[in-house]
Amino acid sequence: MSCKICSQPIKEEGYCIVHLKAYQNICKKFEAWKKALEVSWIDYLVNISKNSLTGEWAKEVAKYLIEDESRNVKER
Amino acid sequence: MKKYTLIISEKPDAANRIATALDDKGRNTRKNSNGVPFFVAKNGDKEIIVASALGHLYTVMSNTKKGKWDYPVFNYQWAPRWMAEKGVLKIRTWIEVLSKLAENAEEFIDACDYDIEGSIIGYSVLKYACNGKEKTAKRMKYSTLTREELRESFTNLLPHLDFALIEAGLTRHEVDWLYGINLSRALTLAAKNSNNMYATLSTGRVQGPTLKYIETREKNIQIFVPTPFWNITAKISIDDHTFELEHEKKVIETKAKANAIIAACKTKEGQINKIDTKEFQQSPPVPFDLGTLQSEAYRLFRYPPIHTSKIAQHLYINALISYPRTSSQKLPSTIGYSTILKKLSRSTLYQKLTQKLLAQPTLKPNEGSKFDPAHPAIYPTGNLPEKVLDTSAKNIYDLIVRRFLAVFSEPALKQRVKISVDIKWNLFFMMGYRTLKEGWMECYRPYVHYEDILLPLLFEGQKVAVKKVNLKDKFSKPPSRYNPQSLLKKMEKEEIGTKATRASTIQTLYERKYVEGEQNMTITDLGFEVADVLKNYCPSVVSSEMTRKLEEKMEQIQLKQETKQKVLADTIENLKTVTEVLKQKQSDIGVQLGQKIKQLRLNEQIIGKCPKCQTGKLVIIRSKKTRKRFIGCTNFFEGKCNTSFPLPQTGKIKPLTKPCKTCGYPIIKILITPKHPWKICLNLDCSTREEK
Repeated sequence: MSCKICSQPIKEEGYCIVHLKAYQNICKKFEAWKKALEVSWIDYLVNISKNSLTGEWAKEVAKYLIEDESRNVKER
Repeated sequence: MKKYTLIISEKPDAANRIATALDDKGRNTRKNSNGVPFFVAKNGDKEIIVASALGHLYTVMSNTKKGKWDYPVFNYQWAPRWMAEKGVLKIRTWIEVLSKLAENAEEFIDACDYDIEGSIIGYSVLKYACNGKEKTAKRMKYSTLTREELRESFTNLLPHLDFALIEAGLTRHEVDWLYGINLSRALTLAAKNSNNMYATLSTGRVQGPTLKYIETREKNIQIFVPTPFWNITAKISIDDHTFELEHEKKVIETKAKANAIIAACKTKEGQINKIDTKEFQQSPPVPFDLGTLQSEAYRLFRYPPIHTSKIAQHLYINALISYPRTSSQKLPSTIGYSTILKKLSRSTLYQKLTQKLLAQPTLKPNEGSKFDPAHPAIYPTGNLPEKVLDTSAKNIYDLIVRRFLAVFSEPALKQRVKISVDIKWNLFFMMGYRTLKEGWMECYRPYVHYEDILLPLLFEGQKVAVKKVNLKDKFSKPPSRYNPQSLLKKMEKEEIGTKATRASTIQTLYERKYVEGEQNMTITDLGFEVADVLKNYCPSVVSSEMTRKLEEKMEQIQLKQETKQKVLADTIENLKTVTEVLKQKQSDIGVQLGQKIKQLRLNEQIIGKCPKCQTGKLVIIRSKKTRKRFIGCTNFFEGKCNTSFPLPQTGKIKPLTKPCKTCGYPIIKILITPKHPWKICLNLDCSTREEK
């Protein structure tokens, strides 16, 4: 099985080691964003995926999560 | 034949200077044998021959038979460099000449630089080329190549070589060789055996952890998620001048709080709440050790550390500055402060400043905490350049002189005024600075930038007009990428490598294509992969902890608290485990590295974007039929684009990043002879080609 984003082997939660770290960082920083701007999870992801200061791996995870979220909404 | 004293120096330039200084008439006779120069001097009734090494003439090499390129390798010996390396046959002649000169010498003196490397160079020449004279040889110790100091050093020779220092140095070389050869062979062979692809991959005791710093930093940048915060500033008007003030809370964590402050500050008037005036001193800088000189040269001129080292070495050889490879920030009085200042005052550039310093009742340098038992901090000898220095050398020389002058100057005296303004119970601040006494800054002026921020005369309770209150959206920033200088500082902080080797370790990372970019060092895919392999299969090799412990052991050898044999036995033991793992995992490692090498090779072949189809990439292709090379578009293989350009059949080709200014086509550099590169635009119809 390979990572949801790249072809590297999975470490945990469907991500390879680098994307897992990016994912964990995204989850950790959401608390600060929620407190600062009262944003929803999806708005937060859109914000960070467009921010030039966000790292490339974090952006890849954010974009994946946005797509995943919209897929889930459609299925529902 | 008359017997003479044979002095061994590190390089021919230094030999020439030593011979001139020791000769009673201040000149020497240059001779040469088979192209190897040596210098004859008369000192009293003594005849002196000063010959030199050429850096390291001896090195560590494997004892295993030639042709067998494998690992682990634990058997080695010290041997002439021409036996171990290709393209250094000149060294064979050099050693033969030194051996010949040693035959008729009655006394031997080692005059190589007084540090680990210099000591090993002198020791190995005396031991191997001069037939075991290291036991009886005497030692010259000096920190500048000035006539006075060299003669003084010759009169007061040390009775023997510093064997403890040599032992530590030999250990370092042997340990580094063991790590370097075994790990580099493991990586190179893994890539070669799994993919049949040869690429020189290297790593080592210092290179491994250094690469890991860059890798860790890059990972932190790539997973970085910024967090928002807000700043509030207010613009106030006093006597028709506008000033910007900052809210007392520099970081406001929520937008709601920030908006509440903005709403509360809706007023046209504020009041000066408090004026706090404080005078403070700014101490002069400390003298340069090599690290701080490299840092300052990078900050001011953007010179990479290795460039600064080379320039400083050049200035030292020309007796303009003291020995640069020092970690000391101390300037002992024995160097003769006032003599140096008087000599420097012969230059119109420094005359005014030196005279001011000489008029001081005492000269006391503001020293730093670092100490080096072998050499003082870097200082100018007082000699002025005899020839015009090139820009880089001129800059570094001037920087060293001005730093030296600044070190003896008085502290600068400054005044800080902090004004707090109350805008509807919210406090805003503004700061003013005034230089009351320039002190050392006068000497160091081109290299210290300061600007006074003057505020008008104000009083507490004074009303001020509030023009605007601004809300600024901000985000936390990712860590900065290393540049050669900040990486060097990190290595210093982590105590890995030595002052003499750190800059070249960084250079090796570039040469191996593990990193790229001068200002912002970015790790390449290959660098990532090498760091990953090392971290996964031999984590101890990339740990700073192991390197630091080894450095400590080396220091203990110098203090005779540890033995070379013990340290080497421990190293071999550790390497046995590491190489065993690497052997077992060779094919996995090979696959991992092979992909990245392939990618790197492909990227090197890419010249640029195809100017015709705009989607393909121009790459260097070799025709299967004619074996001739040309440039073609990658879309050709899909039948979409047939763009091609002819190429000269000899010379190395390098793509340039900037396209042709005239037509926008890619430009390539052709290196037929390294000294005369040839730049051409690929477009055969481009007017720039006609000009040529």
